[in-house]
Amino acid sequence: MSDDNDFNKLIASSLNMGRRTFLKSSAAGAAALTAGGGLLKTDKAEAQTYEPYPTDNQMETVVTSCAHNCGSRHMLVAHKKNDVIVRLSSDDGRYQRDGCYGKDTDEEPQLRACLRGRAYRERIYCPERLLYPMLRVGKRGEGKFKRVSWDEALDFVAKKLIDIKEKYGSQAILDQSYAGSSYGVLHKSDQIDGLQGRFLGMFACRTSSWSVPSYQATTTSSKWTFGTIEDGNEDDTFAHSKLMIMWGWNPAYTFHGGNTVYYMRKAKQNGCKFVVIDPLYTDTAATYDAWWIPIKPNTDAAMLAGMAHYIFDNNLQDQAFIDKFVQGMDAGTMPDWATDSPNGKENFKDYILGKNDGQPKTPEWAEKICGVKAADIKKLADMYATTKPAALKACWGPGRTDYGEQYNRMAAALQAMTGNIGMLGGSAEGVGKAWHAEGAAYPYDQYSNIWFSSIKSDRWAYIVNNYPNVAREEAGLWPRQDNLDGVVPNIRGIFWQGSNWLNQLTNINAEMDAIQKLDLVVCLDQTITTSGLFADVLLPICTHFERHDVALPWYKGHYYIHRPKVIEPLGESKTDFQVFTELAYRVGNMTGMGDKFGEVYNTKATRDYWNNPDPVDEDYLRTWWEDRVMQHQHVEMPWVEFKKHGVYKMKLDRPHVGFQDQIEKGIPFQTPSGKIEILCDELARISDWKKTKYGYHIPSIPKWIEPFESLNHPTKTKKHPYHLITPHPRHRTHSIFNNSAILRETYDQEITINTSDAKKLGITTGDKVEVWNDRGRLVVPAYVTQRCMPGVVSIPEGAWIDLDKNGIDRAGNPNMLTADTPSPAGSFAYNTILVNLRKTDLQHRAGWDETSVSRSHVFGRDI
Amino acid sequence: MSKEIDKAKIKAAVKRRKRETYKPVVPATQLGFIHHNVDCIGCRACEIACKDKNGLAPGPRFRRVSYIEGGVYPDVYAYKVNMSCNHCAQPACLPTCPTGAIFKRASDGIVDIDSTLCIGCRRCEAACPYGAPQFDPGDNLIKKCNMCVDEIDAGRKPYCVMACMMRVLDIGPIDEISDGSFQTTAIGPGDMPVKQVKNMADPELTKPSIRFIAHSKGGVQSKQ
Ligand code: SF4
Ligand code: SF4
Ligand code: SF4
Repeated sequence: MSDDNDFNKLIASSLNMGRRTFLKSSAAGAAALTAGGGLLKTDKAEAQTYEPYPTDNQMETVVTSCAHNCGSRHMLVAHKKNDVIVRLSSDDGRYQRDGCYGKDTDEEPQLRACLRGRAYRERIYCPERLLYPMLRVGKRGEGKFKRVSWDEALDFVAKKLIDIKEKYGSQAILDQSYAGSSYGVLHKSDQIDGLQGRFLGMFACRTSSWSVPSYQATTTSSKWTFGTIEDGNEDDTFAHSKLMIMWGWNPAYTFHGGNTVYYMRKAKQNGCKFVVIDPLYTDTAATYDAWWIPIKPNTDAAMLAGMAHYIFDNNLQDQAFIDKFVQGMDAGTMPDWATDSPNGKENFKDYILGKNDGQPKTPEWAEKICGVKAADIKKLADMYATTKPAALKACWGPGRTDYGEQYNRMAAALQAMTGNIGMLGGSAEGVGKAWHAEGAAYPYDQYSNIWFSSIKSDRWAYIVNNYPNVAREEAGLWPRQDNLDGVVPNIRGIFWQGSNWLNQLTNINAEMDAIQKLDLVVCLDQTITTSGLFADVLLPICTHFERHDVALPWYKGHYYIHRPKVIEPLGESKTDFQVFTELAYRVGNMTGMGDKFGEVYNTKATRDYWNNPDPVDEDYLRTWWEDRVMQHQHVEMPWVEFKKHGVYKMKLDRPHVGFQDQIEKGIPFQTPSGKIEILCDELARISDWKKTKYGYHIPSIPKWIEPFESLNHPTKTKKHPYHLITPHPRHRTHSIFNNSAILRETYDQEITINTSDAKKLGITTGDKVEVWNDRGRLVVPAYVTQRCMPGVVSIPEGAWIDLDKNGIDRAGNPNMLTADTPSPAGSFAYNTILVNLRKTDLQHRAGWDETSVSRSHVFGRDI
Repeated sequence: MSKEIDKAKIKAAVKRRKRETYKPVVPATQLGFIHHNVDCIGCRACEIACKDKNGLAPGPRFRRVSYIEGGVYPDVYAYKVNMSCNHCAQPACLPTCPTGAIFKRASDGIVDIDSTLCIGCRRCEAACPYGAPQFDPGDNLIKKCNMCVDEIDAGRKPYCVMACMMRVLDIGPIDEISDGSFQTTAIGPGDMPVKQVKNMADPELTKPSIRFIAHSKGGVQSKQ
């Protein structure tokens, strides 16, 4: 210790010790030291971090962020020595404007990373990192590759692409870019309009995938109801709620929206009551001491309908709000044209009261479907209708079901009928997207999202396996205005950019059949993944620690985080932008376009971008900051200063509440009618469903529709009596980080089973369980608990499949069991699965490395 | 990496150790942990921050968030108890060490291990009632939480504390945590810190420097 006094001051300030206590304890310390002659002398043993790790003060500190598709975007701070990141920390208040160590205010809270982000070094320096371009030498899926030069790999891809387009036309390449290396403003992998979409679209050979696995039910619902997906509040507003109904929402696992869990603690301290509707008693329920209402999966719309009935029946609805802002809630708010429309004759209240079908949707009716006692449905409806402000947060999981959109629409109807929209402490969330960030530093122009057919994402394998006998409604084709309208694509090749979709979409067995039928499979990624094993070409992409970018909040939060190149790219890895730019030059020169393709693709670069991307990236980012952020968002901090700080936290004039201006200032909603459309204009006017992207009929008001399977199914439950849900794990972001042994040490890839079910089956915690249905089989360890609804089991999504010779997945990926049958609105049926299970002697394989065993139950789960 | 053993140094340390009768160090200020068992979401960000900070491979886990659950469906409850090393006032580990590698700092009461003296005999591992010292077979060493002394010496708080997503884990002078005079977000309005929670070893054994805000079902009667 160089200076005792300095140390004491520092520690005193960081520990909040007042000056008096500090003086007192130093004096006491001095006394103890003089009196301590006989004590073990501390100078003979030394305090240190474990060798050979240097301390933070001996290293360089670089602010950056995490980068994945989890629902938040936290700060990571790299502590590096030379070109190696030795340690990661997170926001401690020091880096922002006017920051200091420990600063953590409600207005500018710290952006503390979760366990996944903190483990990021495990991903940068993992044995699964792709460091060199590779070409497949074995069968697809066998995992046999040889290292090749970039030249050879890129020429191979370019020639194949040209060949396929010539033979099969403009729909032959399927774009399956996703969020694996996502949400930089510059280096963007994205399903709709990222860098890969731009490349394939400009090359004029692209089938895109329009439905989003996470939340298609809620995006479709929010667009119908509110005309936008920006229906959310910033998370600090939750601190103002008096009642928080968390429908299928477990932010203690997903960490959705940077500081949501933290602000809800404030709500709890302010006296907010919490309710959790979920088949599992989640850690969220435990933390907020919530009233837990277990519900049968895929029946949420029925329970919500029962609540609506109670509210109407007792005249508890906010009629003034309805009359002013809502279309189609009741007879009085129906538009004139509705009676003559093909699909819009009925209003919501009539449906709920059973005027037309003779079935009032009473709480008793709902109880039979959802398994929640009518008395509880009434109690909750009463609480919601009589507490203000109350937030009904309709999360995405219950929407990832057959007819999931009906659940989200029904929840929106309740939000509207209680008048909890546009109010601080209320909620119109569905999607939950709040503050609008400036999102695009990459070239974003007329070439950004060109496609020649667009399908429901989880229908690709069905299309490939059954081509040409596929109807347009089965493919979920997005309509076009030209002669390609309704033409089902003949998919011959697939491009994955930051995408492990083979692992992550539904019905993996069907996908594995389809992949063998293709002529080209290209995978750009940072690590090898289960999808990568099926690729013909592996192109190594550097992580966001190895390239220059700026991070955006994911869907809540108002800040930007600078992401400098912390270290040089590992191996021969390049950025996606470099790869697509160079491919554009190569394809252009092979097809007579010369350099034109490359120049238009990457507008600020020359072909030298391949060797020297840094000045171009800097130019894109600086231009974006100055023209977009500084101009549009009235930010005064210059680019250079932003880079120095590493983070810019916005201060908002008022808490951001979705639709506040619509309610307070009477600005129309972005729907055709300008109102909250409980009766949806678009749907009401449709007569030929086959020609829509939905393919099949959808009611224009929210309704309960029986799913293709559930615990209520009269026959299917005989063979497969358990309903499986597949929520997000805590220790992975979808499939990312599955290869981190220290994260796998925190949680098992396990099946959660209720104690009474487990007893019937002779299963105890830690036993291996085989789970199956007609689509596939897997093996996982069991976690037996009272925290799970009987009849329901749960396995988290995202484990990397590891098949044995009989095709049984020993890693336990539930997509071996899910069905590739999306709802009309495009929601994936991830949580609509019936299965059977039994104890087994088959081994479970937690990870490809097999080095780690989870110790989560060793550390006391069933005490 | 397995370390070079300096036999002469260890012999000297053993000799010195034998000469000294252990009397616990009474530090100027005893630092200790406070954890809120209910408001903790159990995310284990603190655990992983610690693993990364200390460069630990799978195996040793200095900080351990235990999940406790009970009740019968549907009336269930759950909470978390988060513990690393308690930097005890009377550390059980310290006197068991044959080489004197374990020491308690006079300034802040942190109990640490000098890894150049540790011979990996694992006696402290057996002595500690809380499972804090853990064996790292890769290095043939016992390792445990040292309250991030390097960070403390730099005037900052430990990695786990600064990682807590809920701000419910903190350190401070343990006396002030106990009597409620310490300002910390770990303690909410109306919360009373306790010394012991259910299933925890008797604090009288070692006088651990840790306090909890207990769950209503996780408290221990008459042991405030
Ligand atoms: S908790 Fe265990 S290792 Fe830590 S000081 Fe106490 S006895 Fe020693
Ligand atoms: S104080 Fe440091 S060493 Fe101890 S548990 Fe926390 S992070 Fe780990
Ligand atoms: S980081 Fe905080 S909230 Fe998360 S497990 Fe640790 S103590 Fe609990």
